[in-house]
Amino acid sequence: MDKNHFLQSFAEQFDDTDPSTITLETHFKEMEEWSSMVALMIIAMVDEQYSKKITGADLREANTIEQLFERVSSK
Amino acid sequence: MTEYSPFSLHGKHILVAGASSGIGWAICKSIVAAGGKVTGVARRADLLQKMVQELGEGNAFFIEADLATDNGIEKVAAMMPDVNGLVYAAGVSKMLPLKFIKRESLEELMNINYFSMVLLLAQMVRQKKIKRNAHSSIVLISSVAQQIGTKSSILYTGSKGAMSSASKAIANELSSQKIRVNTIEPGMVQTAMASEMEDVISAEAVEKDKAKYPLGYGMPDDVANTAVFLLSDASKWMTGRSLTLDGGRYVLLD
Ligand SMILES: NC(=O)c1ccc[n+]([C@@H]2O[C@H](COP(=O)([O-])OP(=O)(O)OC[C@H]3O[C@@H](n4cnc5c(N)ncnc54)[C@H](OP(=O)(O)O)[C@@H]3O)[C@@H](O)[C@H]2O)c1
Repeated sequence: MDKNHFLQSFAEQFDDTDPSTITLETHFKEMEEWSSMVALMIIAMVDEQYSKKITGADLREANTIEQLFERVSSK
Repeated sequence: MTEYSPFSLHGKHILVAGASSGIGWAICKSIVAAGGKVTGVARRADLLQKMVQELGEGNAFFIEADLATDNGIEKVAAMMPDVNGLVYAAGVSKMLPLKFIKRESLEELMNINYFSMVLLLAQMVRQKKIKRNAHSSIVLISSVAQQIGTKSSILYTGSKGAMSSASKAIANELSSQKIRVNTIEPGMVQTAMASEMEDVISAEAVEKDKAKYPLGYGMPDDVANTAVFLLSDASKWMTGRSLTLDGGRYVLLD
């Protein structure tokens, strides 16, 4: 799994946030555009692109995008 | 001698599709409690076996079949004796935002939630296995989801909308044989399906949702007892209709 590819796919789920402002260190749940709908899109994106199942708990426990990447990679 | 009660299922044999867990399992239990016999269908034979043990051989029977396949449907229709009713509670749910939907996931949900319901009824009716002119009753477990528009529920909502709409046309076709067809449209009921949703959307979101239900989330028994009413002669003037069970969620507004 490539970290930057993950970051790019993650950023693509947002419609109003400038992707260049989203980095691996971003605390994603503090983003203005973060919502339950975006959470569902992240879950669906991980399933589609990496064939891995993550849950609401994974999103809750990771703070930064990098931490989420680590959780996904370890599945 | 006890008096005849129209709410009793005494002398009735009912087929329950999706009997191995949750709502379908509770319906099997309520059918036997109401004096009826039941044959449960699902893929997980170990759970069906348990159901038969708990409800008593002679009261409950099972057929292991994958209803998502034509073979499974044919097997059930071939093995079943004539019945006084059928409950379709087999179903799956999946939350997927619009942009992630592909033909494969659409077909997966439509297949078991809608196509198989129609195909099972088609076979049972073709083989004249649903007793005619005998107050027979078909109950389809749809969902309140098909009345509203929850985000990410397109796959599920569409399949249940198809089920609820088609139920009226099926009711019309079968009315000449006095076979009734009604749907139950439940809100959130505490089953494995609900726990799966909790996994996806987080326990906090579920708690928030639960708080919006004036009577809380439903229990499988709440749906099962309504199904017994619809299967019984107590509802013999009701067909082509739907009962919403949602603890007041979508009608009692602040
Ligand atoms: N729980 C809710 O909040 C809720 C609300 C509204 C409506 N409903 C509806 O109620 C029905 C029952 O759901 P539930 O909550 O009781 O969920 P559940 O515990 O997951 O039960 C689903 C049942 O469907 C059966 N099934 C699924 N795929 C099948 C297949 N290919 N062939 C045969 N059987 C199959 C399962 O058996 P096997 O896996 O053993 O095959 C199981 O018995 C569903 O139609 C659901 O849409 C549920």
